[in-house]
Amino acid sequence: MEMIERTFDSLGDLLQDLSFPTVRDWKREHPGARAVGFFPVYAPLELAHAAGMLPVLLNGAGDRLDIQHADSRFGSFICSIVKTTMEMAMTGHLDPFDALFFSSICDSARNLCFVIKRNFPQMYLDFVHLPHSTSETSVDFLAAEYRRIIAELERMGGLKVSDDSLRESISLYNQQRRLVRQLYELRAKSPYLLRTWESYVLIRSGNFLPVEEHIAILSSMLEVLPARPGKKRDSIRVVVEGAFCEQPPLELIRLLEAAGCDIVEDDLTLPQRWFSGDIPLTGDPVQALAESYVQNSVYSSVRHDFRHPRWQGLEEKIRATHADAVIFLIAKFCEPAYFDYVLFKKKVDELGLPHLLLEFEEKLFTFDRIRTEIETFVESLVFD
Amino acid sequence: MRIAVGVDVGSTQSKAVLMGDDGQGIKILSRALVDTGANVTRAAQSAFDQCCRNAGIPPQDVGFIVGTGYGRYKITFGNAQMTEISCHARGAHFLCPGTRTVIDMGGQDSKAISVGPSGEVLDFVMNDKCAAGTGRFLANAAEVMGISLDEIGPLSLRASHPVKIATVCTVFVESDILSYLAQGKRAEDIMGGVHLAIAKRTLSLARRLTIEPEITMTGGVARNTGMVQALETVLGQKLHVSPDAHFMGAVGAGLFALEKLGESFESSVWREHASSCRN
Amino acid sequence: MTEIHTNDYRGTIHQRQKDLMLDWYHRLDQASDGGDPPTVSMMISGNCVELLEGFGASPIYPEVNALQLAIRHQSLEPILAAEDLGYAADNCAYVKADIGCMLKGITPTGERIPKPTLVLCNFVGCNTYVKWFEHVAELTGAPLYVLDVPFLRGEEPTEADVAYVVRQLKEVVQLLEKLTGRKFDCERFRQAVSCSSEVEQLWSEIKHFSQCTPSPFDAYFDAITLMGPLYVYRARQEGVEFFRAALEELKQKAIARTGIYDEERFRLVMEGPPPYPYFRTFRDMFAKWKACAVASTYSTVGGLWEFGFRHDPDRPFESIAMHMLAQNVTNRNYLQRYEQIRRYVEEWKADAIIIHFVKSCRLFSAGQGDMRDYFTKQLGIPTLYIESDLEDPRYFAEAQTKNRIDAFFESLEHAKSASRQGRECARTA
Repeated sequence: MEMIERTFDSLGDLLQDLSFPTVRDWKREHPGARAVGFFPVYAPLELAHAAGMLPVLLNGAGDRLDIQHADSRFGSFICSIVKTTMEMAMTGHLDPFDALFFSSICDSARNLCFVIKRNFPQMYLDFVHLPHSTSETSVDFLAAEYRRIIAELERMGGLKVSDDSLRESISLYNQQRRLVRQLYELRAKSPYLLRTWESYVLIRSGNFLPVEEHIAILSSMLEVLPARPGKKRDSIRVVVEGAFCEQPPLELIRLLEAAGCDIVEDDLTLPQRWFSGDIPLTGDPVQALAESYVQNSVYSSVRHDFRHPRWQGLEEKIRATHADAVIFLIAKFCEPAYFDYVLFKKKVDELGLPHLLLEFEEKLFTFDRIRTEIETFVESLVFD
Repeated sequence: MRIAVGVDVGSTQSKAVLMGDDGQGIKILSRALVDTGANVTRAAQSAFDQCCRNAGIPPQDVGFIVGTGYGRYKITFGNAQMTEISCHARGAHFLCPGTRTVIDMGGQDSKAISVGPSGEVLDFVMNDKCAAGTGRFLANAAEVMGISLDEIGPLSLRASHPVKIATVCTVFVESDILSYLAQGKRAEDIMGGVHLAIAKRTLSLARRLTIEPEITMTGGVARNTGMVQALETVLGQKLHVSPDAHFMGAVGAGLFALEKLGESFESSVWREHASSCRN
Repeated sequence: MTEIHTNDYRGTIHQRQKDLMLDWYHRLDQASDGGDPPTVSMMISGNCVELLEGFGASPIYPEVNALQLAIRHQSLEPILAAEDLGYAADNCAYVKADIGCMLKGITPTGERIPKPTLVLCNFVGCNTYVKWFEHVAELTGAPLYVLDVPFLRGEEPTEADVAYVVRQLKEVVQLLEKLTGRKFDCERFRQAVSCSSEVEQLWSEIKHFSQCTPSPFDAYFDAITLMGPLYVYRARQEGVEFFRAALEELKQKAIARTGIYDEERFRLVMEGPPPYPYFRTFRDMFAKWKACAVASTYSTVGGLWEFGFRHDPDRPFESIAMHMLAQNVTNRNYLQRYEQIRRYVEEWKADAIIIHFVKSCRLFSAGQGDMRDYFTKQLGIPTLYIESDLEDPRYFAEAQTKNRIDAFFESLEHAKSASRQGRECARTA
């Protein structure tokens, strides 16, 4: 069982490492091959993988980088992840990446793409327009957009992407997503076997590890976790909702659990859980990827889909996990999250469930205030 | 000799400087400093009167008065106004001739100014929306820790492991400080962390300009040796700090006033009061 | 204090503009009775008002309602109502004002605004638009269609981009036929596109008048006043007549070399929306220095007409798609905005750039520090950066803003007189 703890700790350390050691290692082992960075939330990593590249999901610099230069480019009222990503670029931390891709999640992220583009002309910057439409026409559009990206990846030194190679990549990421779904099921059923901060570092390490390696780690953990000694706790079952592009400090997640919450569902690691099922491996794989995005994506604050409004999706999460409460954990200045909160809150009020709104920043060094808020909330539920 | 006075009405203190030009060079003849309080006009008048008394020069011998600072339009006895940005640039250039960048940390705002070879303003940035980087922030921090404003600078110089302060909000930093106190951190390290956070924040603002040496610090906070040190540490360069740092705005205003007397600066910049009454 | 002499653009056109807007609100009030004419809620940026003409439908523009309220100093009440409901301090205040108005039954003229037949979200870059209209649809129960316009991420839209938008436009037509029970009138639609084309030509000529020295109007403050008819009446004959008259009035001023001040001292390019709750006050801060805006990016949110683009009645759907994709400032990428501003400085002969950062709008404001960096450090153009909000009156610090503006013009003034003295010295030497 020590192996389990050691795995969580070492993955947690890797998460903190801004020098991207695994990316550098991979580049050394694959001379001439490219590493490509993607800004959250969803990215079609399969495309880069099929082109023989290492796709990496970037998540800002958390609390590990002082913003010394990015402030002069992005002022107030902008979320921290935009600034720390800019700071990373300005301090050479993004040097391992040959290209960066952004998508239509919000206005700040989109402007960041072009500001970086101007300041780092030696890097390839591109913007993927993920559709905010659920019309059938959007599938064809997205397929064309993906083909455009593939052409760019090939042009910048990637391998030629064939239908077969793309299907293989999709198959791998399908597998990763399946394993992640299993982890969440395990955690919801038996939270004492897998704490949220643990599942978090386990899954989020998939942001920068080669997917093959990540699958191996996930598989082996799923084998040993059910036998892990653990005591059931008298905690409240909580759904955490936050449109996580910017990530909370690990300390904050641990704090939530330490205060008496079992987080039975969250959207912290949405990139690895984006689809509600496997992407089909039959037919045109580009079309399949596009079709899945439009038809089979789980709900998210950064994607418009009114066939099944997000607040209904939240209600389903609550019912499926028999949650006692909802914690809205919103990054400061995250506009999509702020907007959704209004209608999420309305729904949760209709359901008669208690909820708490917490604002966070990726840079937090003292947690007293937030700890008090959470503990008060939990106490009000336990001793009522 | 031509005599002129510059009056700088700040949020907390009002300063006046009397300058003379005898044809062989401009000199500062006297200074005065009063608390602004609620009545801005009275504070400005008081500073002006004291300044004249200190120099032994009757007020009617003063040829021209320029007002600056946030209260400049309330200086009813003055002849014209200039913004404190223009005055700080001018004053810093006069007192430290190689100045190309001014970092001004006042009671309520902070600014960085790119200065040209004749002391003219080439570019500037200001933080006037929030107290981070101002005397107010430091005063607040001092109060939370029960230390006097004079002590916080020297205290911060004795930090060995400055704490990390993430917030730049004057109000919220209080809880950070209390948190660190509860953790048993040394007062020196807490103050060191506070000073470093402010220095980083100020320089972050300044980097919107091109920071060129010589860099001169002006404003009330320049009297805080801890802050000067913190800025030098983050910048990696030495700063000029004139003993008249606190009077820089008034000095600059005085220089503009002398120029006007000498009629060497013609422009519509001179916005004269309808009643240019000096009594 | 020296008096400020401004000749606001207050010819007959100013009154005509007011009348036109009142007529529009009156039509909306009538529509509240029986749904006639049908109404479509739309966003200003990259709007496809021509399509509505094919159904005789009237646009509702929540953004125009919001700005009208702010100019009349009435925006705080609805904003507070929205915040009570759970909207954050940092949500776009336009949205909060609009939602708050719906909650409290407030409208700009006191007349009614109907529940729209369709809430048509023309998503052209502004992600807030999508959330806004989702909330409007939830609140009103009206049907919602999000017209997804791909962001202009390259120099030109791709073929797939255009095809996608055209297909969606046609879906909207089908949807409106179902919702209104009316058949789409192709001929009326084509005529509407033709009107737009003519209005755009007139507007472009008007915008080019500010290249004159002195400029006969302020291309920020006065342009904003003229923008109402541009959105509501662009595709109608009233719009053509209005802009013909406006062009004529301004042409006369240009010929007579009548500027908005007795002496134009500074020419500016303005970036960002204005602080609507302090429109007059803000204008006066520049008027004091006899500074006239000769170009602005905000006046191109509805469409960028000064560089040659026109709607084409022979290719109505494609040209509408091109307008939405590439010819409005919000769907263009940030670097293209830099280029737009640079062109303005060069071709309209401006002395300086004013960047007005607004808290509510990240589309405009996120990255304006980099914009300033580009213009001051790379191009050496004096650039002032000031901050407030476009709709929320609580975020305007008058004294501080004035201070920054004064300091900026002091240094510009000094530079001008120094170079003038330098030239004089050179002459006498």
